[in-house]
Amino acid sequence: MPRYGMVIDQSRCIGCMACVVACKKENDVPDEHYRTRVVELVEGTFPKLRMELRPELCNHCSNAPCVYNCPTGASYKREDGIVMVNKKKCVGCKACIAACPYDARFVDPRTGAAHKCTLCEHRIKEGKEPACVTTCLSKARIFGDFGDPQSTVSKIKADKHIRVLIAEAGTKPFVFYLNPEPLA
Amino acid sequence: MKEISVIGANAITYPHLDIWNWTIAVYLFLGGMVAGLMVLGAISQFRSKPLTGEGVSPASCYLSPVLAPILLSIGMFFIFLDLTRKLNSFWFYLNFNPMSPMSWGAWGVGAIIPVSVLWALASIPEQYRHYLKWPKLQDFSFKLSAYRNKLAVANFALGIFLGIYTGVLLSGFVARPLWNSALLPILFLNGGLSTGAALLVLIARDPKEKLFFTKADIALITSEIVVIILFFYGQLTSTAPHVDAIAPFFTTGYYFPFWIAVFTLGIGLPLALVLDVMEVAGFAKIRVHLSAWFVLIGGLVIRLALVYVGQLSSLSDIVHR
Repeated sequence: MPRYGMVIDQSRCIGCMACVVACKKENDVPDEHYRTRVVELVEGTFPKLRMELRPELCNHCSNAPCVYNCPTGASYKREDGIVMVNKKKCVGCKACIAACPYDARFVDPRTGAAHKCTLCEHRIKEGKEPACVTTCLSKARIFGDFGDPQSTVSKIKADKHIRVLIAEAGTKPFVFYLNPEPLA
Repeated sequence: MKEISVIGANAITYPHLDIWNWTIAVYLFLGGMVAGLMVLGAISQFRSKPLTGEGVSPASCYLSPVLAPILLSIGMFFIFLDLTRKLNSFWFYLNFNPMSPMSWGAWGVGAIIPVSVLWALASIPEQYRHYLKWPKLQDFSFKLSAYRNKLAVANFALGIFLGIYTGVLLSGFVARPLWNSALLPILFLNGGLSTGAALLVLIARDPKEKLFFTKADIALITSEIVVIILFFYGQLTSTAPHVDAIAPFFTTGYYFPFWIAVFTLGIGLPLALVLDVMEVAGFAKIRVHLSAWFVLIGGLVIRLALVYVGQLSSLSDIVHR
């Protein structure tokens, strides 16, 4: 069984926001809402400045608080690791939004249901990569199957120093970050 | 110095994306108050003589059970207002998720309303039973009155559950440092009992009855002040996100309303306590009603403040820095 996830090589990100645009276009994300974002952190005093560019999205956590806090079972985790929302079961209670440490969810104003990154599961079905990955011109986003030890993402995870965001939340995310020097 | 810019959406970058609004705070306030009515009403019932015969039973013995389901239904109406897919509400009752506080709440409140309605019917004194329109309902009320004590015990237990649940609903979120405290359910239970006692002071008719609930409120306000201080102390001595989480309470400017909330609680609750103590001690002619209003307003203010500020708190370094 595959276990989909992503590795993000922050040293390659140039902050062009093409991933944000591609995601909005591919998934018909409502106005003023985003499934993915790029955080720009600048530290220091001019001219001594350091910058971190950090693409963020749903972390498709193994221990997903949005799933275990959902009272109706609308938020669920597929066997391949992708966290999804069943709109038919969603009551719009927003418990999942409050529960997500990554602020990766929002209410779709058109439907009232919780909305989030699906890793473009409709594209995965067709053998394609998520739109944000395909469009990333610096190849900072690397998508793959962590269940396959021979996949690029598994090899990176095995060979390199990687980190996850907000590890202390105990969510066991499956979006890993390659960054030798994150801003503290 | 660190500058952060985010292309993306969350409550911080776009305040209109706040998760929950005042309707949730009102629901938590009414839920807590109902918990107080259920617990204190049951205690009042066991302290009083049976309801048979002349109408000598204290008002709290029948007004608590009658008000509990009404106020809880109003509270549920407010949480219903917050749902963005209201027609799907039936899914709450087609699923039970033991890890979800909201699932426990949906099922719990679903059990509390019928049990409290039965208690209300059982508690209606004979001389008021004719207000029930239908004769069959009057008969049912009469038959239920035999089970009044058992229903009071059930309501006592469910009242404790309800009071704790209103806090667990928020404290179960690891993502929100302000809420993620084991003291929050205790604070909400304590606050709920305190507001319940305040309401009973307002609706009780007999001065002795008022005095009993005033004394109860002295104990409850005292413990509430202690729990509030411990709650803030716990946040202050925890990790950086927890310390940042309470900052809006002690900052003016953009967070001025939350500072006002702390100020209101800081003045209102001790003042209510002093007024209660003066009343019990027989000083002056200060009406306990003033103290009860302070407690009720304080109970609403603390829930509004916690609901709004909790949503601003985060483990993410975008917020905490």
